[in-house]
Amino acid sequence: MDRNRTHRNRKRILAALHFTALFLTMAIICIPGLWIVLNSFRPTVEIMAKPPVWNPSFTLDHYRAMFGGAGEGGVPVFSYFRNSLIISVVSTAIAILIGMSGGYAFARYKFKGKSGYFVGLMLFRAVPGVALSLPLFIVFAKVGLIDTHLGLILVYVAMNVPFTIWLTDGFFRQIPKELHEAAEIDGCTRWQAFWKVEFPVAKSGVASAAIFAFLTSWNEFALASQLTRSVGSKTMPVGLLDFTAEFTINWGGMCALAVLMIIPALILTFLVQKHLIAGLTFGGVKG
Amino acid sequence: MPRRRLPEWFLLLLPAIIVIAAVVLIPLIFSLYSSFTPYKLTRPSTLWKWIGTYNYEKILTDAKFWAAFGRTVLFLTIALNVEMLLGLGIALLVNKVTWGQRTLRTVLMFPMMFSPILVGFQFKFIFNDNIGLVNNVLQSMGFNVALPWLVDGKLAMFSIAFAEIWMSTSVFAILILAGLFAMPRDPLEAAKVDGCTPWQSFRHISLPFLMPFIYIAMTIRSLDVARAYDIVQIMTGGGPARRTELLWTLMSRTGYVDARMGLANAMGYVSILLSIFFTVYFFRKLSAARAEIGMGG
Amino acid sequence: MTEVTLSNVVKKYGAHQAVHGIDLDIADGEFVVLVGPSGCGKSTTLRMIAGLEDITGGEVSIGGRVVNDLPPRERNISMVFQNYALYPHMTVRENLGFSLHIAKQEPAQIKTAVDQAAGILGLDELMDRKPAELSGGQRQRVAMGRAIVRSPDVFLFDEPLSNLDAKLRTQMRAEIKKLHQKIGNTIIYVTHDQVEAMTLADRIVLMRDGHIVQVGTPLELFNTPVDTFVATFIGSPPMNLVDGTVRGGNIQLTDGQSLPVPVGARGLVREGQDVQFGFRADNLMPLGHAVDEVGEIHQVDLTITLTEPLGTETILFTTFGGIEVQAKMFNPRPVRPGEQMTFRLVLDKCHVFDAASGTAIRS
Repeated sequence: MDRNRTHRNRKRILAALHFTALFLTMAIICIPGLWIVLNSFRPTVEIMAKPPVWNPSFTLDHYRAMFGGAGEGGVPVFSYFRNSLIISVVSTAIAILIGMSGGYAFARYKFKGKSGYFVGLMLFRAVPGVALSLPLFIVFAKVGLIDTHLGLILVYVAMNVPFTIWLTDGFFRQIPKELHEAAEIDGCTRWQAFWKVEFPVAKSGVASAAIFAFLTSWNEFALASQLTRSVGSKTMPVGLLDFTAEFTINWGGMCALAVLMIIPALILTFLVQKHLIAGLTFGGVKG
Repeated sequence: MPRRRLPEWFLLLLPAIIVIAAVVLIPLIFSLYSSFTPYKLTRPSTLWKWIGTYNYEKILTDAKFWAAFGRTVLFLTIALNVEMLLGLGIALLVNKVTWGQRTLRTVLMFPMMFSPILVGFQFKFIFNDNIGLVNNVLQSMGFNVALPWLVDGKLAMFSIAFAEIWMSTSVFAILILAGLFAMPRDPLEAAKVDGCTPWQSFRHISLPFLMPFIYIAMTIRSLDVARAYDIVQIMTGGGPARRTELLWTLMSRTGYVDARMGLANAMGYVSILLSIFFTVYFFRKLSAARAEIGMGG
Repeated sequence: MTEVTLSNVVKKYGAHQAVHGIDLDIADGEFVVLVGPSGCGKSTTLRMIAGLEDITGGEVSIGGRVVNDLPPRERNISMVFQNYALYPHMTVRENLGFSLHIAKQEPAQIKTAVDQAAGILGLDELMDRKPAELSGGQRQRVAMGRAIVRSPDVFLFDEPLSNLDAKLRTQMRAEIKKLHQKIGNTIIYVTHDQVEAMTLADRIVLMRDGHIVQVGTPLELFNTPVDTFVATFIGSPPMNLVDGTVRGGNIQLTDGQSLPVPVGARGLVREGQDVQFGFRADNLMPLGHAVDEVGEIHQVDLTITLTEPLGTETILFTTFGGIEVQAKMFNPRPVRPGEQMTFRLVLDKCHVFDAASGTAIRS
């Protein structure tokens, strides 16, 4: 009886501890983001108030200023948003096409030095953006790609291809090769078999690889900050810097832009989270 | 007889190879060359002057460089380990939950979609000594202090590490959680019946199974260790007084602020080797762990 | 006319040779089963016929046309895969009609063909489901339907039943046989299961290590195996093989007892030759259980070590010639291990194999 009771009590304590730990973890994960969102709706006076004001009031001033255009210290958010969108979407589309073809090669063909090629490609992804930005800056300056959409698109394609290969390789390998064979026997060419059978089956996986690539481009800073100069090509992560002056930071405005950046990322990630995890683990675990 | 031509797999890989060669390899070769010159952006002619390994000798004898290098390695080692342990802990916590697991998992992915620069700003804001959330809370709780989170060297390092860990722990948590979901039930139940304590069955059954997942997360992370640059650049810019200087911030300052590209590229090469070291190391670990639980091939 | 001919077909993977120069003629409308243990090259052979593997050497022709370098789509064949390979993103109807759709046939025409195939296989109720919503047997049927729809010259089956449970396998086996009777196309069927081979085939091709060991009707392989491999592979339980030596016109077993040389091998063995004496469980029966008493009989007392009652018959395990052999009791009664019984061995149905080479000694 006694032993039973101690075990039962221990279970209860453990359950309470478990709940507390989980709650704290989730709080630490959520609060910083929520704090940003909250502050994007607070007037600057209140953000700067000393002692702190805990009773938030609500204002859309920061958003109004942000979308109000470039006048009076405002930040040309629309341009940045457009640049980010164009660069991310185009580079993602190209990276997916190239990466998918590479991933397919790894998933379906046997060849000598396969894992060598694979690790080799991955290593190019490991080159730190800052380290790459130095020579790229010089090379791009020579060929006139500095401060252009095209320049950044190229960079992001190269950056995203290795990881897209990793992901799509995993997804294509999950598809039994017999599907392709069946399609060939049913009268398809290899090309048709890919587009009519394997691609539709791997579609959700490819979509998540695409979103991963999109987010990488959307969020990238180290290279974009060096390779773009003007309103015509700066992306939003670079644009965030516009809110900082020598000694002051426009926190409210920054928070508003941050919210604008995070919303598309948020939506896209939720759409594909399941496939994303599957792709990451499958590609890696089954080698 | 069919004509002899390039194998199909190579044709399929070719676009990837070309684009990577053009955008990454060629600049890297260029930077390798320039690291042997005293190249300064402001004086283009310096590009043609060969000075051998002078830049490398210079950085290797530079105490500031070694301080940054050591700090970077230490920072990465601590951050990756803490992220791994926290990720493991969080995964185990979430795995035990019986309802709302999907929601929790979604919340876990939250930091993954934040741009590193956004994370930097966010924590620069939160750790601001004057109006930051942390100090505000402390003060409202009655501590009459304004901790100089980003001004004091040690506190600044802590704040940066906190931001980095906040951003990256979820990669570990999510992947380890996926591993936990994929884990076969039978061995665990067999262990329970055989009299293993929870710790023993975790140590001898769950953990070996999870290792490949941990190493996948490590590999994915190590592909992108340098994104800590964004955070540091925003939060402290390497300051105060170089107390949070990492290899990457030092390099970017040398290259862009001082315009000494040759020297910066030499540092760049050191940082590339460092990244490659981390990646290859974890790739190896991954294959080894895979072989151990019979998932290879 | 769609006969399939393989002449000296070779497959090499680098240094490893998987198929060693196979020759095989398959007649129009014939049901041929390639059978053998795993790794014997049967699937590789099938895949070379399908065009899914390159042919390293030799020639494959279908309907008199050499197809060595034709892609699968130009060979007018269809194939049923072990894991069915149904297109998971298409409904059953789309799966069935896919090949016709690729061939750009009229929708109306496709519908007729698909409905007809669905009718033959009883798939009418399932047409709008996706493969994931089907049971194993239903998937198997859809896979067969997909093969029928294109009305190919040759059907290829690659271990189509091995993913089904035993009961379903028996049922589908019968359906495949009925299907063949109904449509009468040439079928080449690969399996590792000798029961499937025996029950389905017009002709069995038994392979081992990339070579054809024996080709013949199921009964030919059962009754006149060319070597000990065929003898033990075909038939269940496998043929009993007992070591012996020819001494004075008899075969002396290792335990000292002596048997007359069976009629078929008489005069073909030499004195002192080491042989293996083979007989099936069906031909070693307890006294009084013999179904067929004609011919030469050898009588022997044996002790039972284990019994396996199967209902209509009981398999008896006993020791004979120094090794464990199986016998059959056709009118079962309870038998206890340790019980001694008198057995009769039908010598006319026994086989003698050369011990060194394993080949059958038979006129």
